[in-house]
Amino acid sequence: MAQSLKRKRTDGAPSRKVRRSSPVDESDAISEVEDDNTEEKDLQSHEEEWGGIGDGNAEGTSEKIKGTSQTKWRRHSSYEGRFGIIQIEFLQASAARSLLKKGVSVPYSTPMPNEDTNWKVAFEKPSDISLVGSWANKTHVKGQDGCKYGVDLAVEMPANLFQEKDYLNGRFFHKRSFYLAALAAAIVSDKGIASTFSTSFSSLGDDPRLTKLVLEPCADGSAHDFTKLNAQICIIPTLPSNSPITIHRLSPSHLNFRGTTEDKGDSDEKKASPLYNTAVLTALTPRSHLLSTHALQQNVPALDDAVALLRVWANQRGYGDGQKMTVRGFEGKGPWWTSLLQYLIQGEEPSGLGSKKSKRKPVGRGLSSYQLFRAALDFLSSHDFKDFPVFVKTKDGSHRYAPGEYQTHHDVVFVDSSSTVNLLANVPIGVLKLLQRDARKTLDLLNLSSVGDPFPEVFLKDHRDLQSRFDAVIRVDLSAVQARKLGPHSVVEAGTAANAMMTMMSSLLSHGLGNRVQAHAILHPSPSLRPLSQAHPTSPHIIHIGLLYDARHAFRQVDHGPAADESDSSVVERFLDFWGEKAELRRFKDGSIVQSVVWDIKTVDEKAHIPVMIVRHILHRHFGLDDTSVTTWQTHFDSLLKLPESISRYYVGSGLSMGFKGAITAFDDLVKGIKALDEALPLTLSSASAISDCLRYTSVFSPVPLPTSLAAALPPNARYTHPIDIVVEFEKSSRWPDELRAIQKVKLAFFERIAAALMSASSGLKVSVVVEDTQNDIQDISCLEIVTAEGWVFRARIWHDREATLLDRIISGKGSLPHVTVKPKDHRKGKEYHDAVQAREVYTRRFIHAPRHHRAIAKLCHNFPAFSGTVRLVKRWFASHWLLHGHVSDEAVELLCARFFVVPGWDENADQENNPHLKNPTVPGSKERGFAAVMQFLKDWKWEEGMFVPIYDTSMSSGPAPTANAADPSSSTAGAWRLSTKIDEQGTIWTKNGPDFIVARRVQALAQATWKYLQDMETSGRVVVQSMFDHPTNDYNLVLALNRRSLTRYHHNVKADPSSLPNQSKHQNEAGDVLVRPGFDPAMAYFKDLQRVYADTFRVFYDPFGGERIGAVWDPSLKLPRPFRVLGGFSSAPASTDVASSSKGNTKSSSTKKGRDLVTLNEAAVVVELERMGAGLLSGITIHV
Amino acid sequence: MSSPVTINGFVVIPILYSRPSSEPSTSKKVQPTNHYIYARAHVGPKNAAQSTWPNGRTLFLVNVPPDATERELMSLFKSYGTIEKIVFDLDGEKEEEEDAEQSDEDEEMEDENDGLVDGQHAPANDEDDDEDEDGGHRKKRRKVTKPQPPKVVPLPSKTRRRIRKTGQTAHVIFLDASSLERTLSSAPQKSRPWPISDEEPRGLAHYAAMYDSARPPLDAIREHADTYMQLFDFEAAQAKRKSKFRKGEAIVDEDGFTLVTRGGAYGQTLGGGVTVATKMFQETGETSERNAGRQKKKKEKTNFYAFQKAEKQRNDLIELKRRWEQDKAKVEKLKASRHFKPY
Repeated sequence: MAQSLKRKRTDGAPSRKVRRSSPVDESDAISEVEDDNTEEKDLQSHEEEWGGIGDGNAEGTSEKIKGTSQTKWRRHSSYEGRFGIIQIEFLQASAARSLLKKGVSVPYSTPMPNEDTNWKVAFEKPSDISLVGSWANKTHVKGQDGCKYGVDLAVEMPANLFQEKDYLNGRFFHKRSFYLAALAAAIVSDKGIASTFSTSFSSLGDDPRLTKLVLEPCADGSAHDFTKLNAQICIIPTLPSNSPITIHRLSPSHLNFRGTTEDKGDSDEKKASPLYNTAVLTALTPRSHLLSTHALQQNVPALDDAVALLRVWANQRGYGDGQKMTVRGFEGKGPWWTSLLQYLIQGEEPSGLGSKKSKRKPVGRGLSSYQLFRAALDFLSSHDFKDFPVFVKTKDGSHRYAPGEYQTHHDVVFVDSSSTVNLLANVPIGVLKLLQRDARKTLDLLNLSSVGDPFPEVFLKDHRDLQSRFDAVIRVDLSAVQARKLGPHSVVEAGTAANAMMTMMSSLLSHGLGNRVQAHAILHPSPSLRPLSQAHPTSPHIIHIGLLYDARHAFRQVDHGPAADESDSSVVERFLDFWGEKAELRRFKDGSIVQSVVWDIKTVDEKAHIPVMIVRHILHRHFGLDDTSVTTWQTHFDSLLKLPESISRYYVGSGLSMGFKGAITAFDDLVKGIKALDEALPLTLSSASAISDCLRYTSVFSPVPLPTSLAAALPPNARYTHPIDIVVEFEKSSRWPDELRAIQKVKLAFFERIAAALMSASSGLKVSVVVEDTQNDIQDISCLEIVTAEGWVFRARIWHDREATLLDRIISGKGSLPHVTVKPKDHRKGKEYHDAVQAREVYTRRFIHAPRHHRAIAKLCHNFPAFSGTVRLVKRWFASHWLLHGHVSDEAVELLCARFFVVPGWDENADQENNPHLKNPTVPGSKERGFAAVMQFLKDWKWEEGMFVPIYDTSMSSGPAPTANAADPSSSTAGAWRLSTKIDEQGTIWTKNGPDFIVARRVQALAQATWKYLQDMETSGRVVVQSMFDHPTNDYNLVLALNRRSLTRYHHNVKADPSSLPNQSKHQNEAGDVLVRPGFDPAMAYFKDLQRVYADTFRVFYDPFGGERIGAVWDPSLKLPRPFRVLGGFSSAPASTDVASSSKGNTKSSSTKKGRDLVTLNEAAVVVELERMGAGLLSGITIHV
Repeated sequence: MSSPVTINGFVVIPILYSRPSSEPSTSKKVQPTNHYIYARAHVGPKNAAQSTWPNGRTLFLVNVPPDATERELMSLFKSYGTIEKIVFDLDGEKEEEEDAEQSDEDEEMEDENDGLVDGQHAPANDEDDDEDEDGGHRKKRRKVTKPQPPKVVPLPSKTRRRIRKTGQTAHVIFLDASSLERTLSSAPQKSRPWPISDEEPRGLAHYAAMYDSARPPLDAIREHADTYMQLFDFEAAQAKRKSKFRKGEAIVDEDGFTLVTRGGAYGQTLGGGVTVATKMFQETGETSERNAGRQKKKKEKTNFYAFQKAEKQRNDLIELKRRWEQDKAKVEKLKASRHFKPY
């Protein structure tokens, strides 16, 4: 090496050989790195080789530069021995210009050097080059999104380049920048290296002060190509420990840049530059971290694995680098994770800060990696970073700077073992809270042994998806940002204006949101590499703000500020300044007059928007970002659950009591009304239970009544009112007949009595008895339809528990006298038996399970504010994909959603104020997040495994649980999903009628597409929530278009066209004879008929909420010719396989006979039948081949 | 070809589906569409008495359109002869059964031939029951139709068009056998148009009518329910009279309490009402031993007074001694027997 250099110099003309030799040397170094990268002894040899390269390059550089512009160059070259040190000095501004000519710009940080400064920047051979960081310690982990391993190379700048006062005004950074740029220029200009590596800059956290040089191998297949290692070399200039810079001036409390601050006014206030100081100090740490980690590794055998576990865990949650959204503040926090474990193992350096009890016992050295990982999670989940600073145990047991200074100048303090830098200096407190939540979540998961193997969930699954992680995601376009109060001080302090702005944003948000959120974070992709010609990092234009609500406070409408008579006027001023025109002086009920902020909302739905409204306000007031650059998805989701404006305005104007509250009030009134009939009824009402989703906050649309006055005004295809199902139970009596058919008739008589009595008791009530048209006359078929004066529609059924016994008797084949042996005949054959099975199923579902389910779900809605919205959105999703009601029941959706809210034992202290489960970070705090979580779950739910939903009380005595019908034959044909609960172990009560396997697979595919779309929304920022609810019809063989005018609930359609909802005002005079059939939905009836009639022919799909199309898919097996059967169950046509004119004699031969007896599905005839049956409803049929 | 196309013994009757004129037809398919009904003469079981359908003049149809009504089928086949009755197999039996039963009762089983004995009950009745019934009838005959069964006022009719499962079967009963012959032999080669009756509403109107007919007026409901219950009571009374344990009525007082007496052979009170036996007994037919033992628990306390304890102690001691003596004797005996070993 040395000889080659020598030859170069003696030869005068630089030979090609030499040029080639340099990269060889370098790659040698690297191959050594790969082979044996912990051997510190080897570092010495690296250093020598690197020194050689630096030498050669520098010379070449200087010579070239000299040739081009000699005027501003002063060159002091002194040859010392074999390794000549070439020192180049520049005036920094001119130096930059000269380097720029070579395509390398110097990443100077603010404050920028100007032409007048007369100190010099210089390049000189590095005094030391060492391999540092995770690669050297073998603690590296694979990054996210194909990020490469970083091989950190600390290039120590010689001490003589620096002066005592270099810590001031960014001088150190300028010198560092130039050093790096000179290095870059040399590397680029060397053809050998340049062809093997692509060289670029990268700045940690977009801070130009922390720029490093990144060499990535080009996959050229040469001997030095280490692409396969998936690594990149990061060159980081560091400061030698013997540098003349006075370290003690860099304590957190010192202000180290002058002139840039506004001198007047602020001078009395103590200003400090903790981030700036930290950035300087960071140049000292790589070496010491390397050594301390190495020392720790010697003592703790499991450390490597523990660090790997911890970092993989963190990376999967976005606390690290990645192309996707990562949590701001956690880029390049590699040393911190190691230090965290170091802290846990070695303990704390006593600081005298914080209370005594925060003292932790260090964990043992001999723990396994998993134990260490858990200890780290435990620490993260329980430590209060805000109030208790952390000082890792130092070697010599002393603090470099006063511990108190850290706490006053930093938000979060985690000082490393060398007591030099605060590793969490630039991490906002909100992010640490998020980390805390994540850690707790994982710990809970690990503690739940019942779940099975938690490994994939903890380590393998990517948890960075914003939509299912945060309750609210706000996308902010920063291109128009105009921070209101961003002084030069904070800009210099943070490194760039963008960084300063985001730091400010973070702190303002946490101030503004207060305890409404558990955590909030700013997310953006971690900084990417930039070409050498670009001096400064581009800060991200698009950031996302993620909020994690605290459900107890998030939706508070009023924020109180200081009282009006506050003595300290500055407090009031600050409050006014923060909130701007939103702040107002208000007098409250308790007589206090307080400055306050009131968020006015028009509807209940909007209450859920308050946190986002606050964020919008803050962004607008302090950063000049108006609504065009701030995007959220909430209102778009809201609109899915609302009636179109042209319809809802009638309701708003009518002044009726609407919504769930209105429905519940109406229900209570009705029950009171029936109870009051005591005299008129033979038996008194013992209980009335609701079983409708309108009364448990989970119907897609907020329920509305339809008074006759309004019905006339509404368009005829928007006059639908949904009947609300209730179950009434009368006191026990022995007078009921002991026969099923007769019971049904007695029910009829009962209904008739109630109807007559109700109508005579209160006018305006319209009551009729509904007798369903069914062949099964032992089933509960009748109900009472009550239309109240306000226009609510209720459907009451009578629960008579004797029915169950009688039905069971038929099913089990025993008579009323079981000991009398029944004649042994197959009781399972008859119609009676099948009717009984069916009736029993309906009975169990309707009278046993539905009321319990209702109560449990209603309780959930009270406890979790986001639950109702989630269910409504998911129901809407199922409906708009033509699955709800036809294939997936309401209750199944509710159970499915409940899974994301409840954990076993959630209700034990549900009534208490501080229910710990409300703070559970896994519980969605907004319906959007709930929706995303359900989609994420559905897309890869293995439904064969079933699911247990603990929505019922754990304490509830299982008691006489409804005995599972072991003899139930239909259970074998149940749906694919199994949603079991405590009272329904099999989990098929609500999924018996679907989805079956085909539909379940379809749900999965749809969920996958939806999930993908949700993720696309993050990245692209498109806000077309609607299209997730847009159903593709290409897969259907038949699409029956329905006539919009004849649909009764077209206004519920996802994409209701206002022009199809004609305004009725012209025909007001006909108002008298408007015939309203409450709950009449011919399209649904038609759909149900199709489902029943053609059960074996095709599968039909329909959106129950005013869908205007019905889709059908033929059963593919019917397309093949099959032998004729009498009960084939489909409309067939003789297969025209053989010629019809074949002679009679041939029929004897079996082969022809077989051919003639085959039939196929008569598709065309079925289509005509469909048309005939849907006369007046259909507007056309499209046949996809 | 002269003979109709057959498939598996069924004559294929092609039916031309014309599109409803009011319907906006799809653009693509305008050519007529054929639907196929498969017909065959009904072949009943050998025992003619049990056959539901009269042999020889019943036409069995397969793949009747799902929305077909009686009227439509009738007009399809009326050119072959007069039709007595059309029955769709998958449904309707209930009402028919009831009618039949009623008529049975009314006519006192006049003709066995035409009486539509319902499919479920008929095989269930074996000789014993038959005899019973016969006996009942005999009695009835003797009393000469004294208890006239009340008539049930039916609910206002449902819509007549009932949409059934596709591929359904139906039976068409002609008045005479020749029409059946004619139908099967001269089934048209050319498809005949499907008659669409406008009497019964279709489509939207059908659903509206169904909605309305599901909500009958209240007085109709009351009448229906009342008359049904009368019939029910009547039948219950009939059944009681027929039953083996005909000993009288259960006595129910005006508060609704039934006077329970231990009744007939099976722990049953009169008329099949309330049982007195335990549930256990009902289910297993036997009383449990354990239960019986528990009931006979001694009321007297045995270990309460000092004298009782002393007595017990003494008795125990005596018993012990007695045992000891017994055991000793036994051992002696054993020893003796061992001594007696011959070899």
